[in-house]
Amino acid sequence: MTDQTAPAVEVRNLSKSYGDFVALKDVNLTIAAGEYFVLLGPSGGGKTTLLRTIGGFQRPTSGEILLHGKSVGHLPPDKRPTTMVFQAYALFPHMTVLQNVGYGLKVAGLPKAQIAEKVDQALEQVGLKQFEKRKPHELSGGQQQRVQLARAIVLDRDILLLDEPLAALDAQLRKDMCLELKHLQEKVGITFIHVTHNQEEAMTVADRIALIATGDLVEVGRARDIYRAPEKSFTAGFVGENNILKGKALEVNGTAATVDVAGSKLRIDTRGLLVQAGQELILSIRSECVALEHAEGAEPPADGMSIMGSYDESVYLGLTTSHLVRLPDGTEMISRVIADADETLPQNGAPVRLHWKPSDIRMHIQ
Amino acid sequence: MTSALSNATGGVTPAKSVPLASRERLAYWAFRAPLIFMVLFFAIPMAMTVVFSVFERTMFWMEPGFTLQAYENFFFSARLTNFLNSMKYSLISVVICFILGFPIAVFVRKSIPLVAQHRVVLLFILPFMVSEIIRVFALRPVLQRNGLLNTTLTNLGIIDEPITALLYTHTGVVIGEVMSFLPFIIFSGFLAMEAVPKFIFEVCDDLGVGPWRRFKDVILPLAAPGIFAGSVFIFVNGLGVALLPNILGGAGAVNAGLIATQAISALDFPLAMAVSAIMMATLMTLLWIGHRLFDLTKILTPLS
Repeated sequence: MTDQTAPAVEVRNLSKSYGDFVALKDVNLTIAAGEYFVLLGPSGGGKTTLLRTIGGFQRPTSGEILLHGKSVGHLPPDKRPTTMVFQAYALFPHMTVLQNVGYGLKVAGLPKAQIAEKVDQALEQVGLKQFEKRKPHELSGGQQQRVQLARAIVLDRDILLLDEPLAALDAQLRKDMCLELKHLQEKVGITFIHVTHNQEEAMTVADRIALIATGDLVEVGRARDIYRAPEKSFTAGFVGENNILKGKALEVNGTAATVDVAGSKLRIDTRGLLVQAGQELILSIRSECVALEHAEGAEPPADGMSIMGSYDESVYLGLTTSHLVRLPDGTEMISRVIADADETLPQNGAPVRLHWKPSDIRMHIQ
Repeated sequence: MTSALSNATGGVTPAKSVPLASRERLAYWAFRAPLIFMVLFFAIPMAMTVVFSVFERTMFWMEPGFTLQAYENFFFSARLTNFLNSMKYSLISVVICFILGFPIAVFVRKSIPLVAQHRVVLLFILPFMVSEIIRVFALRPVLQRNGLLNTTLTNLGIIDEPITALLYTHTGVVIGEVMSFLPFIIFSGFLAMEAVPKFIFEVCDDLGVGPWRRFKDVILPLAAPGIFAGSVFIFVNGLGVALLPNILGGAGAVNAGLIATQAISALDFPLAMAVSAIMMATLMTLLWIGHRLFDLTKILTPLS
């Protein structure tokens, strides 16, 4: 029925605007069949709009969407190979779990025996077999979301859209449900597209992540790459805890550039970016890659991978401790270490040196 | 609520010798005052209605006794037919109000931005700023033989002769009832739609649930208690508000309220009481049936 070689979802030059407000700008995206794909970004960035447009709940202003190689612009949600799981408030309150899950099949006109069998299987898969007689208000938030999942997978559509499915759950439950979602996707093997603003949730479940902000598709990549090697400075600012530094290129020498940041000269790999002397740059380095050292009056080595600052304060976070350091130009940098805060900390305002491995700091051009 | 309060007052009994703090005394009365009010001004008059209905009729008043004369007067006369007719036409009003009003309620809930919803509902309260007598009376120049409606239709060449069935008939009363009571079904429908979860319509889109099924399987069962409450309200008013048939009705086009009013004018108090008692019994039966079917307590706790 469907073209197995074509990607599950292909979004071409998709734009969506509401009056003057542009929700999506010329988005291009390909999602492979069987992939767990996450749309990550700040609230109001357009990720939900993209998901709802894929699902057919909204029409694009321009551009098109292909599902399994077929343009679906004209199709309503139920005629697409997609189905949606909502944040919450999406179960029929007057129906039991069994009826909720089976309703879509009943509407589709399947014979009763077949409905019973499929619903049974779906409930088994989400682990709600023993709750089938309950009504939604007798279930916990996590169980309600599992009913939604069962209702979606029972339809046998190949693409499952999840719109902030865990947003209404508390932190611990969200963690558990993340793993469950991941395992469920591996078990049923269909494409999952999951919208969230929570990066931990995204990292847990995703094969690949797309970052979406202010209507733009900022960056797409594997979860690990997005975290460790962000291409764009926005990504660096949104994922993980990155120090974002502003600098100016002093000279460019092959693959390395010397960049002035708050008076220190840093040597940075250009990563093939076209950089010219005098250009304003953005640098990013994850806080856990920054080491902190007392600088007892000694002249700091001008090695190109360290910077001087004055110690500000420490924040004890349990597993890690964040040390806040102020650079001469007022920028705050964070060094995060796995250690207890019991050791003698530098005095407030004491000079300290922050240093890192050359490969950890990344250059971005606006 | 009541048990919590009585527990709270019960909790201080060991220290009974100590005078109750004024705050506790307030709580004590906060619970009892409405009860006393309801007994004095609702339960006792209602009971007296039933008692008076079996009293003997005298020239200008009545005297204690027991006779079913009033009920006989009601059940074996044109009054019964009129009463049953007024039930029928009240029911028609309920249906028309529902067909016109409920879609408005659904529309307001579904398609109007959340911040504007209550303001839109407020618009439907505006008619109540004008006295009901004036509102209903204003229908006369519209509906009468040479009224606005007939003149317009004649001038447009749609009708040759004025329609006389619009006024001083059951039709006139039904028109008046729909005009007066439509907001109630909109209010109760609006409240009832609160029981319908936010994303349910999108889920229906996703599952391919057609409009009729959506109404029958989803909206109706969820909104039923609210719809029922609104309908009962309209039905009871259609049966009881004497004003409407008094101004818009005519021979035979009366309702229970007008029958009772006319009985009072004729100084037949036991009959008026009997009609009221019968109306009350009808209402109680309706509420009982409704409660068994929909659990009316749900109206105020839609999402529990």
